[in-house]
Formats: sequence, C-alpha cells, structure tokens
Amino acid sequence: MDVLIQTLVAGVLIGGIYCLIGIGMSLIMGVMGIINLAHGQLMMVAMYITFVLSSYMDIDPYLSLIVAMPALFLLGCFLQKYLLNPLMKIDSILPENQVLMTVGIGMVIAEICRFIFTSDYKTVQTSYGGEAFFIGNISFNVPMCIAFIFAVVITLVLFWFLAKTDIGRSIRATAQDKEAATLMGVNSTRITIITFGIGSALVASAGSLLIPIFYLFPDIGGPFTLKAFVICILGGLGSTVGAIFGGLTLGIAESLGATYIGMGYKEMVGFVIFIIALVFLPGGLVGIKRLIKS
Amino acid sequence: MRALKTLMVFLFSVTLCLTFGVSSSMAADSVKVGIVLPLTGAQAKFGEVEKLSFDLALEEINAAGGINGKKLELLIEDDTGRPEVGRSVVEKLITKDKVVMLGGGYSSSVTYAVAGVCQQQEIPFLVNTGSADKITTSGWDWIYRLNPPASHYADAVESLLVSTIKPESVAILYENSLFGTSGATAFEETCNKLGIKVLLKEGYEHGGIDYKPVLTQIKRLNPDIIYMVSYIMDASLLMKQSREMKLTPKMFIGGAAGFTLPEFVENAGKASDNVISATLWHQILPFPGAMDYYKKFLSKYDRDTEYHGAEAYAACYVIADALKRAKSFSNTDIKKALSETDMMTVFGPVKFGTWGKMINQNKADTYVVQWIDGELELIWPEKASTKKFQYPVDWLKVWGY
Repeated sequence: MDVLIQTLVAGVLIGGIYCLIGIGMSLIMGVMGIINLAHGQLMMVAMYITFVLSSYMDIDPYLSLIVAMPALFLLGCFLQKYLLNPLMKIDSILPENQVLMTVGIGMVIAEICRFIFTSDYKTVQTSYGGEAFFIGNISFNVPMCIAFIFAVVITLVLFWFLAKTDIGRSIRATAQDKEAATLMGVNSTRITIITFGIGSALVASAGSLLIPIFYLFPDIGGPFTLKAFVICILGGLGSTVGAIFGGLTLGIAESLGATYIGMGYKEMVGFVIFIIALVFLPGGLVGIKRLIKS
Repeated sequence: MRALKTLMVFLFSVTLCLTFGVSSSMAADSVKVGIVLPLTGAQAKFGEVEKLSFDLALEEINAAGGINGKKLELLIEDDTGRPEVGRSVVEKLITKDKVVMLGGGYSSSVTYAVAGVCQQQEIPFLVNTGSADKITTSGWDWIYRLNPPASHYADAVESLLVSTIKPESVAILYENSLFGTSGATAFEETCNKLGIKVLLKEGYEHGGIDYKPVLTQIKRLNPDIIYMVSYIMDASLLMKQSREMKLTPKMFIGGAAGFTLPEFVENAGKASDNVISATLWHQILPFPGAMDYYKKFLSKYDRDTEYHGAEAYAACYVIADALKRAKSFSNTDIKKALSETDMMTVFGPVKFGTWGKMINQNKADTYVVQWIDGELELIWPEKASTKKFQYPVDWLKVWGY
C-alpha cells in the first residue's frame, strides 16, 4: 500500500509542473493553431536565467520567478512578432511553416546557450534542495511540494486572467474563432503576440520551479517539448483545462509505469497513452465532454 | 554558352588543383589521424574533456618532435552522440581526409557503429572509452581498445565484496543504454557467481526527474547493497532521493561513470558521502605522469579532469607510439605496430592481447574509490589505497538526520 501511495504522490507532484508546461503550449496552440516545438527550449532559457541569478547574485530560485517570467514573456513576444507573424503572410507548400520555424528557433536557442554556458551540467544548490518530510511512511520532497503549490497558484491566476480581464477574453475569443474575433474588433495580431508571451512565461515558471529539483544543460529542452506535446494531445488540443488534466494524467501514469512496469518503460507509458488518446479520443478531455453531452 | 562552359571547366580544374595541391603538401609533413567524439549533444561534456586531453597530448607530442620529424595532426570530428552521424563522419574521415587511423569513440553505441565501418574499410581504430563488450568480441581485428570492457569495470568491486562487505542480496539499477545494460548484466553474473541474490534489476531512461517509485520498491525489498550504473546527474538524483527516502542498505556502489566525477559531490552534497564506486583511473595512482597530467590539465583549462580525459590523453600517446614504430603509414603496418604496443601511459601499462572472447583488448586494472568528507579517496586494492575503507556506515548519521 505504501508503495502505491508513494507512487501516486510522486506522480501528482510532478504532474503539477507538467501542467504548467502543458498549459503554456496549449494556450499557444489554441490561439495560433500551431505547435510550438521550441517550448522546452524556452523553458531551458528560463532555467539558465534562474541559474545565473541564484549562482551569481544569490537570489533564491523561487524569487527569480519575478525576473524569469517577465523576461520570457518579452522573449516570447519578440519571437512571435518578428519571427513567426511575418511567416503567416507568406504562401508556402506547407501551411504550417511556422511550426518549422519554431524547430529552428529551438535549435538556435540551444546552441546559443551551449556557446555561453558550455555543455556542462549546472545545478543550483539550495539549503532546502534535499529536504523531505514524512507523513506516515510517505516521503514528501519539500521543493517538489513548493513547486506544486506555485503551479496551482499560477494556474489559478491564469484562469482568473483569462476569465475576467479584457485581454484574457480577447485571447479566448481569438482561440474560438479568429475571424469572428477580428470582426468584433479584437486586434488578433496583437493577441497572438501576447499569447506567445504568456505561454513562454508559463513554461518559464515551470523551469524556475524545476531548478531546485532537477539539473540543467543546453539539451534539456527537447524531452520537455515532447512531454508538453503529449499533455496537449491528452487534454485536447488548445484546451487549457484539458492541459491540467493531461499534465496530471501524464505525471501519474509515468509514476505508476515506473513502479509497476519498469523504470525503463516510464517514457513508453506516456507515449502509449498518447497513442491511445489519439486513436480513441482524438479530442482529448474536450472529446470526453462532448461524448457525455451527446 | 560555350564561354560559360569553358569558364566552368577552368574553375573546376583550379579547385581540383587547389584541393589536391593543398592536401598533398600537407601530407608531406604531417600524419593525419581521425578522432570521433561527441562535441555537441547530451554527451558533449565528456567529449569536451576528451578533446582537450587529446589537444594537450598532441601539443606535447609535436613539441617533442612529432612522428619521426613529421607533425601529428588530429582531425577531431563531432559524432553528436548518434551512431548514424558517427558512421558518416568516419566515412568522410577515411575517404575524403585519408586519415591513416582512427581514435576516440566515447559512447558505446556510436563506437560500435564506427568500429563496424573501420573493420569494413580496414582502417585501424583505437577505442579509448566506448566500453560495451561487443566492440571487441565481434571478431573485428582492426579494432583495438585501451579501456577495459564494461563487464570488467567492477572487477575490483568484486574482490571488495568478497573480502569485506559480504552481502547476501543486491538491487541493481542501470541506465538502459548499451553501456548501462552491459555493466548491469556483467554485475548480475558476478553476483550469481558469488551467490549473492539479485532481488531487483531495473533499467531506467537517462534524464529522469523522479526515481522514488523504484527506490520505494527497493526499500521494501531491503537489499544489502545497491549497485548503480548511472551517469552523473542520474547518479546525483538517485543518491539525493535515497537520502530523502531514508533508504539504508549496507553500501551504495556506483559502477564507474557518474559516481567519480566532481559534479557528483557538488550536486548530491551530503548524500554523496561514503558512496563507493568502481573507477578506471585516479590521478593519485602510481603511474608515471598521472598526477602531472592532472595538474597540467587543471592549470591549462582551469577545470577538473577524470578517467575519461586520462583515457584520451593516454590514447593519443599510444597512437603516436604506434605511428613512430610503424614501417610505413599503410594500414597493415600501423596495425602491426599497434599489435606490438607495449608501453607505459598515464592510464597504466598498455598492451593489446586476446583474452576470453576479446581480441586486441588492453588489460587494465580497475579500482574502488570512496567519497570521504567530500574528497574522492582510493580505497581498493588496499596496497594502493590513500584512505581506509569507511565501513560499516551509519547512513542516517552521515546524512545529517
């Protein structure tokens, strides 16, 4: 029984961080209709910002969220405005050439980071990094729990923002129907820029929260891009609520897989779920909702 | 149109002349050796250490007169850690650059692919790190290996287990790469031979965040020792999370790779204390030049080096030595010279022989090191040791609980 509970706890805690990564990608996917394949690399940039701040200026990784999130917001806006939006106007054989652009952006970012920081593994040492508390026989890693709480708070703030503010409503409108939103007076180009910024800021927060637990090197982005993609498919493309569901499902599934099938098959479990979702539930969580309604 | 054609032909011939002219003039005063290492990608960190060590040795060799008056030239190519890329860069090195032999070879998977090409093209290849057994058990006579095969990494650990720890059960965790699998399988066989019960043998994917599920399982099984074949960051996380879970076997043993690097103690902190690991080399070993190499590396590049670097540095000297003795730079003469190698390097004595199923395999000793108060100390074999083996260990006290 202890093993099962410990497994679930580990899954839910890591699932919280997956949610943040997934929501960011989902937002971008919803509004722009493209998959941002540089998502993990953007997270890596945020991790390096956190790393620099905490190792050279002694700023706590959690405090560095205040710097990393706005910085990545600006970086995201810049990428969308000057690299992705201009591509929309160009006719090409592939309708989604913006996706290819994001792949390129990802590679360039990774190599720039390698140039500056070399390929060495970096970590941030914190006093609480290895701390854990026990409830019964179940161990809770302190930074994991803090990260989870942060993830919940950031998600709640995001939902408030999307539901109550003007820009938030515009984002949702653009995601639902871009043309209609434009006709209603929403500046959709501006909205895409802001959305990409917010998506980047969200994944930045995930990066900063991961730093005390994990480590950092220039190639860390790729696997997380893949994870984000799986989460989005699980949750239903472009659905932010779905991304939460997707993130938690992936976290728990990986954890259960690691305990009961084998550590080496952890990633495989994630991808099998991904394929099952694609085949039987192409709409993800949103698809389930629709099924229940009909 | 005609004029254009003439111009094209002219330009083409000029280019041809230039390329051949340059390469033949280069060939006159230098000997080219191709080196394959991962310089980008996830393994780039180790590739860099090896590249810098090759550079260091090359500088010294050329300063001391090169290869019988000719300059040794290393063409270091990036295999990015992927076998297919490794294959293509080696084909380029052999056919276009006309290297006389090859060196390097970091990851087992890439090295295996590269070795296949070399065997086919009959180009001698001195492997210095790729350690999966099948690289030298495939019957490939053009492939020479300086480092011991992965299945022998734990030889010293084995004798320590028999004489001191005497465990009854073990849990084996390994990275599911060619290197990890090779090492874990070999250790499992060792355990079966010694009558130690293997309670769990589990592979994991490199780069995981959370190892608690598998550690929980191990805690329930309660083995005497835990043996881990992991790279640096996985190694640190495994130890950190073992500490968090208060997982306390008699001993944590690392199967070389990650557990001996300075980053391990930096990242794992308190959790690294008293962990022991198999290793292939340490600067305090009584080999001529070992400490010198370590100090030179440290002062020149301002960073630490470890056994990977020593392997590369020694390999460069072995290559130079073979080329010096070779009657000509033809592939058969170099092969003959390599087979006759019998020299001392910073990595210990080097001599290629046939033993077991291996051919052209150097027989290198292995050692056991232990992290004591944040320093890596050589503890086994006892006669070479710098500190006494700390055992038994009260882990909870060491970890500060």
